[in-house]
Amino acid sequence: MIYEISFRFEELELDEEFISRELGYPLDAMPEPFPFYLSEAQNLASSVNDIVGSYQLFEPSQFLTNGRSLHLKGVKLKPGKTITGELRESSHAALFICTAGKTISEEADRLLRGDDPVYGYVLNVFGSAIAEAVADRLQERIQAEAQAQGMQITNRYSPGYCHWDVADQHALFSLFEGKTGGVSLTPSALMHPIKSISGIIGVGSDVQYRDYHCDLCQMKTCMHRKM
Amino acid sequence: MSDLLNQLSECVEFGKVNKAAPFPPQMKGMDGADEITRQAIEQGVAAQDVLTKGLMPGMERVGVKFRENKVFVPQVLMSAKAMSTAMVHLKPFFASGEAKQKGTFIIGTVLGDLHDIGKNLVAMMLEGNGYKVIDLGIDVNTDKYLAALEEHPDAAVGLSALLTTTMANMERITQEIKAVYPNTLVTIGGAPVNADFSQKIGADYYAPDPQGVVEFLNKQTA
Ligand code: B12
Repeated sequence: MIYEISFRFEELELDEEFISRELGYPLDAMPEPFPFYLSEAQNLASSVNDIVGSYQLFEPSQFLTNGRSLHLKGVKLKPGKTITGELRESSHAALFICTAGKTISEEADRLLRGDDPVYGYVLNVFGSAIAEAVADRLQERIQAEAQAQGMQITNRYSPGYCHWDVADQHALFSLFEGKTGGVSLTPSALMHPIKSISGIIGVGSDVQYRDYHCDLCQMKTCMHRKM
Repeated sequence: MSDLLNQLSECVEFGKVNKAAPFPPQMKGMDGADEITRQAIEQGVAAQDVLTKGLMPGMERVGVKFRENKVFVPQVLMSAKAMSTAMVHLKPFFASGEAKQKGTFIIGTVLGDLHDIGKNLVAMMLEGNGYKVIDLGIDVNTDKYLAALEEHPDAAVGLSALLTTTMANMERITQEIKAVYPNTLVTIGGAPVNADFSQKIGADYYAPDPQGVVEFLNKQTA
């Protein structure tokens, strides 16, 4: 069953820590114009109706892993050694696609390229936080479904991470039968709207939720890297 | 007059756009880049001097502070905003040829990639340091770079990539540009690439931050 869920901005708990970090100021000591821009971003987000998250859970009969690749309803995904390893103990798997929507993505892009890059950047950060918050909410639902059946979930992993080629998103998207929450892929496997994320979560009675470790990632020079 | 230009540098360095702007808090109520540029021109300061002695030193200082992690992206964007507000007043002088930019820079995020915040920062910083910038956007393939080069054959090129999977496209695009324009300088940047990779793919320069590519291009045009 493919769930395609619309979220109101008010239902999403944005990660304020993330916003504060990306803007470089503590939330309670942000100089103007940043509080103003944040409230504008909030108003815009409250008015849109294209914040959507889609997910589906694959039963053991639909999910196969051989240590190198995954097969979901016969569709092959190749997330690479690291992520396949993280999913090793999973009996079920969930795929998801989340988007902050076209309205926010396009407005952020328009502002960043021209009219007001500062507000554009704030809206970009805000949009990223929305996309992540949608993924958080889906993850909670998947976790609740798993727990109801006595199972746990792994962390979530996305194409593009840990050498999982983004081109695999074509296969991932094909499994959603068009119910992608309005997200489409370019031939080069970019998601539109831009403020979108996709990925997989492992489910099983013996799986462990592990924090996303920087040592999983090959990007040694990343600004967000925790040593 | 040098007083005005110094004030202008400070407006750009700290991102003071105009008098009404609340940012930065310590400059509240003071004239900003907008007013001071207008005053300088009214007082007969050459537009070229407004650019090279007023605006550019401010942008350079913020570029260095950003490289040293002393300021964050929003502050750099504030500086860029102050800079572009001032540039509006200089536009007619560029159009008439009375003031000149140092050169042209064509930049884009390569095919298969959408991450463009870093690319935009590089574009703004170059503009702030006196270059004309042609921004081709995201998901850019070779033909777009070549079309832009046809129009601006003396331009240098910047390629940005944030996904390890798009690094291969960066390599191919660099080589395809070089095949048509062997003398065009190709610079690369983005979190997963480095100087070794730049050398390997036949690019001319890798910079970890915008200031690096500004300094590289300044050396070429000096
Ligand atoms: C913001 C962000 C996003 C935003 C993008 C917003 C936007 N408009 O750009 C959103 C949320 C949309 C996003 C989505 C995705 N992202 Co993302 N994203 C990031 C993040 C957190 C920050 C990038 C950033 O803006 N940095 C700030 C700028 C200022 O820094 P910068 O880009 O490095 O640029 C600086 C320098 O590199 C340099 N520079 C840059 N370009 C150039 C060019 C030249 C010529 C020069 C000289 C210098 C230079 O100067 C800049 C200023 O100093 C990074 C993590 C990271 N640490 O980089 C992940 C990251 C890049 N994303 C990643 C991935 C995988 C994705 C997705 C593909 C995941 C998915 N499947 O869902 C999606 C794709 C979405 C789509 N639509 O297709 C991975 C890439 C892994 C890899 N190495 O391949 C990263 C590294 C996260 C991670 N830890 O794994 N992402």
